[in-house]
Amino acid sequence: MKQSIYIRSLAFSLACMIGLVVNAQDYKLPSYQQFTLKNGLTVYLMEQHDVPMVSVSAILPAGAIYDGEKGGLASLTATALKHGTKKYPKAKMDEELDFIGASVSTYASKESAGLSAQFAAKDKDLVLDIINDLLTAPVFDTAEFTKEKRRALLRLEQAKESPRNVIGSYFDKLIYGDHVYGNIISGTVGSVTTLSTTDLKQFYSANYIPNGSAISIVGDFNSKEMKALVTKVFSGWAKGKQDNANLAAKPITKATGNKVLLVNKDDAKETTFLIGSQGIARNNPDYVAVEVINTLFGGRFTSMLNDELRVNSGLTYGANSRFAALKNGGTFAISTFTAGKTTEPAIDKALEVLKKLHEQGVDDTSLASAKNYVKGQFPPRYETSGQLAGLLTQMYWYKFDESFINNFQKNVDGLTLDKAKSIIKTYFPQDKLQFVLVGKSADIKKIAEKYGPVTEVQIKEEPTKKAF
Amino acid sequence: MKKILLPVCLLLGVVSQAQIKADDVKSFTLKNGMKFLVVEDYSIPNANMYLFYRVGSRNEYQGITGLSHFFEHMMFNGAKKYGPKQFDRTMEFNGGANNAYTRSDVTVYTNWFPASATETIFDLEGDRISSLSIDPKMVESERGVVLSERSTGLENSPWRTLGEAVTAQAFQEHPYHWPVIGYEDDMKNWKQTDLERYFKTYYAPNNCVVVMSGAIKTENIKALAEKYLEPIPAQPEPPKVHQVEPVQTGERRILVQKDVATPYLNIVYKAPEAKHDDYYALVLLSDILSSGKSSRLYAALVDNKQLATTISASYGESFDPTTFDISAIAAKGIKETDLENAIYEELEKIKTGGVTDKELQKVKNQKLIEFYNQVQTIDGKSNNIGTYEVFFGDYKKMFEAPDRYNKVTADDIKRVANAYFRKTTRTVGILKSNTAE
Repeated sequence: MKQSIYIRSLAFSLACMIGLVVNAQDYKLPSYQQFTLKNGLTVYLMEQHDVPMVSVSAILPAGAIYDGEKGGLASLTATALKHGTKKYPKAKMDEELDFIGASVSTYASKESAGLSAQFAAKDKDLVLDIINDLLTAPVFDTAEFTKEKRRALLRLEQAKESPRNVIGSYFDKLIYGDHVYGNIISGTVGSVTTLSTTDLKQFYSANYIPNGSAISIVGDFNSKEMKALVTKVFSGWAKGKQDNANLAAKPITKATGNKVLLVNKDDAKETTFLIGSQGIARNNPDYVAVEVINTLFGGRFTSMLNDELRVNSGLTYGANSRFAALKNGGTFAISTFTAGKTTEPAIDKALEVLKKLHEQGVDDTSLASAKNYVKGQFPPRYETSGQLAGLLTQMYWYKFDESFINNFQKNVDGLTLDKAKSIIKTYFPQDKLQFVLVGKSADIKKIAEKYGPVTEVQIKEEPTKKAF
Repeated sequence: MKKILLPVCLLLGVVSQAQIKADDVKSFTLKNGMKFLVVEDYSIPNANMYLFYRVGSRNEYQGITGLSHFFEHMMFNGAKKYGPKQFDRTMEFNGGANNAYTRSDVTVYTNWFPASATETIFDLEGDRISSLSIDPKMVESERGVVLSERSTGLENSPWRTLGEAVTAQAFQEHPYHWPVIGYEDDMKNWKQTDLERYFKTYYAPNNCVVVMSGAIKTENIKALAEKYLEPIPAQPEPPKVHQVEPVQTGERRILVQKDVATPYLNIVYKAPEAKHDDYYALVLLSDILSSGKSSRLYAALVDNKQLATTISASYGESFDPTTFDISAIAAKGIKETDLENAIYEELEKIKTGGVTDKELQKVKNQKLIEFYNQVQTIDGKSNNIGTYEVFFGDYKKMFEAPDRYNKVTADDIKRVANAYFRKTTRTVGILKSNTAE
């Protein structure tokens, strides 16, 4: 029987920003070592002996920002690494990994490509050899790619069956415009259709380079032995040079006024919407303070947004807000959904709550509560070797060190009411709001017009390449 | 965390016991019948509390469907000491977070908190279990919340729509017939008296198992339990669910319309409950079918024949006899009947030719890794210990599971495939755009 499970509320992620909201009650990052191979690959090793397993995380400068006109290229290149190598053709690779219960997955995100793996400690020689081989000698088999492409194209069509699956891409395009952060990771039907293994090979040689990449290994091993093994396995990877490495450094155009993007879905019964603006970059010195204030505003069950839209009014199952931070910029969004006929009260309430944040701010009690919450919920975020491996590669990518973790509690505690006030003023938008509404246009277009000039698109049509 | 050793003899097929042992779970029962299972684990300065109530949509009847799930929401809406909103506000002020989930068989409440807040959590739970107050105003706004929860599930996943239709066909008399979320018209019709009766009948301490893991001491937990929870009086045992689903004697088929790119397919076979001896063999069979890219169904239908883009087999624990499910989405341009027949062909291969020793060993190896993953966190520990206690009758079964899986033979797999993959006991559901053709 389909085990349908109904959960009380959608997860509130404290830190939708990569990595986290951290805090710790006396939590210190376990010791680790870091070194760089001659080819420039940065390696992190951290011993964790709780379970006889090893986790690996790798990060590479090969994200969707480098797609150019070929949307979906970074994503399919990452996926196709697992289509096999000369030494491990796909079927053999799948069988070897499945037999020992090892998982190795490869993917692309907006800025970077990544690999994460988990396996029994005794299998480290085999799995690291496979990881090295697929990162450094993928064959990009044409027959496999043809199959992958068919599946990817169908997934793109299927994604349109779910407003939640597509709304984020529309929002990013609306906020980032022509900046490469607006690129859609999965691409579009139009762009993916044209891709070939020649494109993948070019993208791979241009962007999968050890200098500029990092790999972290966390788990049940001896660091000295692991260092020797890693050095042996990954040293053959040739150094490269990435043109356009700083593509994302280009400034992001600021919004000049409210804007509404209405995505029509004829059979929608709900309206799913995001309201937001540009946010902050990951290296913003106020990163932690912003996260504490966002916790109060829309980052937990009792947050102002969820309290008003769910608890007080029953308009939705959940309302939240989040900052998504990248190297050179980010977005802020209020996110929720409601029945088509309650679209207007739900949007109005969301805006009211934002206004209230600016007008009334926060008080001592609520600030203390938010601080306790982010601190108390911190340690489980770094409980497993997989979580720690992910943290280490994020540290590499966003150039922060363990002081972020070790001083987190201090930084949270240091947030005063005055500072909170300035955080709200600086980082939470008051005007020039950007709206994306996915719903039935015939029922909600008039309502949408209340909030700003409306651009309407059809969910089934190819997303435009131009900025909205 | 206690060090857990992966058996070195894993690949030889002999599973020795992990070093987290059944003995590491301390157990006591309060005078009112509330059972506690405690694991001391100081790996992080946090702890959790999982409360498993033996009530779910299985305990409902037509007219009040969805009430178990709705009640789960109402447990957060105010009691005697902590009024409306105060449960969440107090918990979050103390650094804690919570959630809850409802299934057909159970309702589970989950609290995650810094260990220093343990007493506050007991105070909060004691208050709502002893003196929940069901405020009619809160009932109305919460009704809107669950209606939105139902609608957003249907809006965002065709599987929800298809799954509800198929389950309703597979179970015609047993309460697994209706969805956990309930029927929309029942959701709009729950009465105050339904809620009050539900609370008294099912939220009795003797109908609950509490599991706690983390930086806590069993003796302290026992003292807190005695102070905050023991005074709550026991209640008569809830009425037994008396319906037994009659034997299915022929294939059932159902067609559902939704605007989708390609057809969705759901094939479910009647299968036994968690306490049945065949449980372990069926779980391994589902892994052989769809766990990993080298699995039977994925390799044959997604990779080689390209008839499907995703495929999965699933079989999980339940109180009463359930179903073994196979779900797939047809590839572009593929007729759902071709996909359906190809699935039967793969099942037939196992029924006649069995599986190889290597295939069986592969899924056993995967199972052990999965086990270590589950006990890697304090939350995984609590959730699993509680699940084994309520579904298998004893948390110790969790520690026996690696051995039970290891004893399954290739002959067992072939036998259960023949016993349960029968045309006469299957229900087939198809969801597609054009159901008029």
